[in-house]
Amino acid sequence: MNLPKTITVLGAIVLTGIGWMVADNRYFKPRPVAFTVPKGWPQPVYDFSKNPLTEEGIALGKKLFYDTRFSKDNTFSCGSCHQQFGAFNTYDHNLSHGINNSLTTRNAPGLFNLAWQKAFMWDGGINHLDLQPLAPITAENEMGESVEAVIGKLRADKTYPSLFKAAFGDATISYLRIGKALSQFMLQLVSSNSKYDRVMRGEASFILPERLGYEIFRQKCTGCHTEPLFTDFSYRNTGMAADRMLNDAGRMKITGSSGDSLKFRVPSLRNVAMTFPYGHDGRFFSLLGVFEHYRKNLVPDNNTDPLLKNGLPLSNYEIGQLTAFLYTLTDSSFLNDPRFAPPGYGNGKPPVDIHR
Amino acid sequence: MHTLILILLLLLVHPGIQEKTALQRPVQKIRLVLQHRVGREPLVLGNSYRNVLGDTITIYKFKYYLSNFAVTDSSGNTVRLPLQYRLVDEADAASKTIELSVPVDRIRDIRFMIGVDSTRNVSGIQEGALDPLKGMFWTWNTGYIMAKLEGSSPSSKIAMQSFTYHIGGYRAPYATMRWVTLPAGNRNTNKLAVVVDINQWFKHKTALSIAKTPVCHSPGELASQIADNISGMFSNDSNP
Repeated sequence: MNLPKTITVLGAIVLTGIGWMVADNRYFKPRPVAFTVPKGWPQPVYDFSKNPLTEEGIALGKKLFYDTRFSKDNTFSCGSCHQQFGAFNTYDHNLSHGINNSLTTRNAPGLFNLAWQKAFMWDGGINHLDLQPLAPITAENEMGESVEAVIGKLRADKTYPSLFKAAFGDATISYLRIGKALSQFMLQLVSSNSKYDRVMRGEASFILPERLGYEIFRQKCTGCHTEPLFTDFSYRNTGMAADRMLNDAGRMKITGSSGDSLKFRVPSLRNVAMTFPYGHDGRFFSLLGVFEHYRKNLVPDNNTDPLLKNGLPLSNYEIGQLTAFLYTLTDSSFLNDPRFAPPGYGNGKPPVDIHR
Repeated sequence: MHTLILILLLLLVHPGIQEKTALQRPVQKIRLVLQHRVGREPLVLGNSYRNVLGDTITIYKFKYYLSNFAVTDSSGNTVRLPLQYRLVDEADAASKTIELSVPVDRIRDIRFMIGVDSTRNVSGIQEGALDPLKGMFWTWNTGYIMAKLEGSSPSSKIAMQSFTYHIGGYRAPYATMRWVTLPAGNRNTNKLAVVVDINQWFKHKTALSIAKTPVCHSPGELASQIADNISGMFSNDSNP
């Protein structure tokens, strides 16, 4: 090969190389992740085509979920009030803490199986998972921060621009991308490996009180807490008189219809042993408190659900068996999965089997 | 020869080379020029006016969405224009001129929606004019504020003598999107002046007394009534 030819070839290679460097890495795409629907479950309602899951998007979402800069005083993150060991509720708190010693007005629900949920909050006021984080970020009694300020903090960070680039193709940081990345992480929070699930799959069997409890559950509870998600996602008035200070009208605040007064979303009972206290305002500190409410303490009004209008008779025996059954809904592999844990915890690999 | 082939191959994989999309055929441009007024007087933020009910009002914010533009030609065919969402803001002069590309010679009517259709209210985070950060979005009860009017009035009995009307809600029976059709007079025109009279906000169908109702911040019957009033704000310049 003579000299001019060599120079031409080298020149072409250099030019192409420069082209690759300046071309915004269009050819290095994030790695797609498949979403697995557990066997026998309905199809999810989340539209994955609008927000395809990728390893980079999920990793970014997790970093954002645990980033304290979402709050005005940089002290707490989404994960502060949604703690993995409580199935992502605020463990052992009726109401959660916001900035400046404020309190929320409702109990922080556990976060799992969100891909199947159409509307969010106890009143169903938020109609898309991607939009949900806006409410706690901006609420004065939660994170109290403006989204513009959060975006500013993330832009000033050394690592975020490259993480957004890896997940979305360029380094732009916008709320659209923050919301999508957070959703990608939250959609991973699938809880489908409790003892109940393993019994249903034929991999385990109930002990006697669990089996008896399951039978009682199917007679008395599945009208609202429908399997396999253990909620039908409806809004119901369960005869809980409004707290005089909170004065929370529930679903009525969203629809403006008096027929929706004191209606709240039916919560899932998965991981229920870990998500105490219970109720939209966390007024019941134990399962026993909930059972006592249903059998003795209901305050029915015109909107109270027909299934509960006359109370829900439960004997002490039934309460015992039901409790045994409800404990089988605890998914310890979900509660301990290092993929969901705060940064610096575990090795990031899902446990092979921790049902021992 | 090998060198040439190598260079050609390198050029083929060169990321700078990509297909260019064909340019769109140009169409007639028409400008909608929105003139905000209180009765006959042009609106100036911070100035005081007497509204149609006799309340003295000072306006600080006046913003609304327009979307889903369509035109009808002289033979009555309606053509929907490419979907766009415009946030008109009194404080942003450029937002008060809306340029539309119209594939029609003589326009009989022009039609648009005040507000944002329900599809965009239920499709997650949007960008551009619909970015939730534009201050026209409710986070706790998902949905767009279709129109916003804020100011003060001696008639108001609340703090700062203020009134704040945030009109939104996309669910039946309290949906607040409204359609407006304006005659364009079969003209071959490239400019259409549209008067937007804030007086109608207070009276078009239902009287809105600042003393009685200084605030509307959620979907419902009141928002829906005010939305009916808002639909009467728009008229052609020739027919004020």
